[in-house]
Amino acid sequence: MKTLSKSEIQFLLLKLHSLTGIIPIGLFLVFHLGFNSLRTVGVQQYQFGIDLINNMPFLLWIEVLCIHIPILFHSFMGFYVAYQGKYNAFRYAYARNWMYTLQRITGGVVFLFLIYHVGTTLFPKMMEGKHLYEASPFLIGIMNEQMATWSGRLIYLVGILSATFHFANGLWGFCISWGLLIGKDAQRNAGIAFMFMGLILTLWGVATMAAFALDPVSVEPVFSGGTFL
Amino acid sequence: MSEIVLVKIKRRENPQSAPYWETFELPNKPFANVISVLQDIQRNPVNIGGVRVKPVVWDCNCLEEVCGSCTMVINGRVRQACAALIDSLEKPVTLEPMSKFPAVRDLQVDRSRMFRDLQQAHAWIDIDGTHDIGEGPVIDQDTRHKAYELSQCMTCGCCLESCPQYTLDNNFLGPAVFSQARYFNMHPTGAMHKDKRLEPLIKEGGIANCGNAQNCAAVCPKHIPLTESIAEIGRQTTFYLLKKLFTE
Repeated sequence: MKTLSKSEIQFLLLKLHSLTGIIPIGLFLVFHLGFNSLRTVGVQQYQFGIDLINNMPFLLWIEVLCIHIPILFHSFMGFYVAYQGKYNAFRYAYARNWMYTLQRITGGVVFLFLIYHVGTTLFPKMMEGKHLYEASPFLIGIMNEQMATWSGRLIYLVGILSATFHFANGLWGFCISWGLLIGKDAQRNAGIAFMFMGLILTLWGVATMAAFALDPVSVEPVFSGGTFL
Repeated sequence: MSEIVLVKIKRRENPQSAPYWETFELPNKPFANVISVLQDIQRNPVNIGGVRVKPVVWDCNCLEEVCGSCTMVINGRVRQACAALIDSLEKPVTLEPMSKFPAVRDLQVDRSRMFRDLQQAHAWIDIDGTHDIGEGPVIDQDTRHKAYELSQCMTCGCCLESCPQYTLDNNFLGPAVFSQARYFNMHPTGAMHKDKRLEPLIKEGGIANCGNAQNCAAVCPKHIPLTESIAEIGRQTTFYLLKKLFTE
């Protein structure tokens, strides 16, 4: 087998950066917002959903391999890409150029938000060993607390908005980079369609936030027992 | 029409020296363009302070917006000086050299990187060598129309000057090269060397470095659908990459 040159590796890493943004990170974002929107139906349904995830076998492995490592890789490459750009959105003030600039800004914002988000949910959950059926009451308690303050709501609103924009606009860029969207009109129409998708994702997230903020209910573990892997 | 025109020029003695601004005041002539104003300055190089200075250096050739050599940043926007009419510009008129190419002197820059990059991407169609490669196939009308659009590229550098991904010190090939690779890959004889053109595009500085800011197509004086070319090259390189990774 031929070994890859440094130049080819750089290209492949950029391609992988584009791909990981959609699979698995974009997919994860959709599932994450979708699963959490169960809270808008009721806290029992939400607890059921969270219990389902937290009783998955090999959960830690799935999280690390399919979520944490891809996000870290995508973020690292993203900072590298963002650092290399020579921004000129004020000089060439086209909508697309602003989207290009915002894509990099929101990427940074989401990264900061994720440090906060993971640091206040997943990290304490792992530290206190709240696994299986114990995870949902613990996480629901944290979210009730965070959604009780305006600062917490603001942080989540900015985080969700940045993530949904970054995903919607990133999906558009992905479709062009990989040659799925060629024509000028196709690019414009898809851009609009993806922004609508982003808006729906945002509303999904905000509705979940509202459910937590308006009706902070605590729950007890449904069962006990089982083994955590 | 105002009686006088103020022209602010970003000047530089040589590639190493620091740039400085110099203002000139000239009588406004009917139908003057940036080149004719620069010619007026050349005839009487006296700045607004009344000091006789060295004439301003710039590049130009065709004077009808088809050669690309007089490309400069006029009132903050990259375009051809020959096609920039003074009456239609905001005053004072500011002239700067392009910032993405090595400076030579005053408004003159060295665009040779563009031509080297076109060479890298095999941006031509091979003709007969020691053997006859025969007549080319007939090209249908639609393809010819598309090819004509792409053929108008004059390597002026507007797309690269406005591209946030293209910098003085990186090795990004840029939209003009991608569009030319597409142009020659479209041609049935050119398509015989398709992979040769795609190969440099799947390396550092290749198509993956595009950030889809799409300034290139917005500023292109020839209205070349550069963003379509980028997407088309994206598609070609995707298939080429899959072929390389999984079938070779």
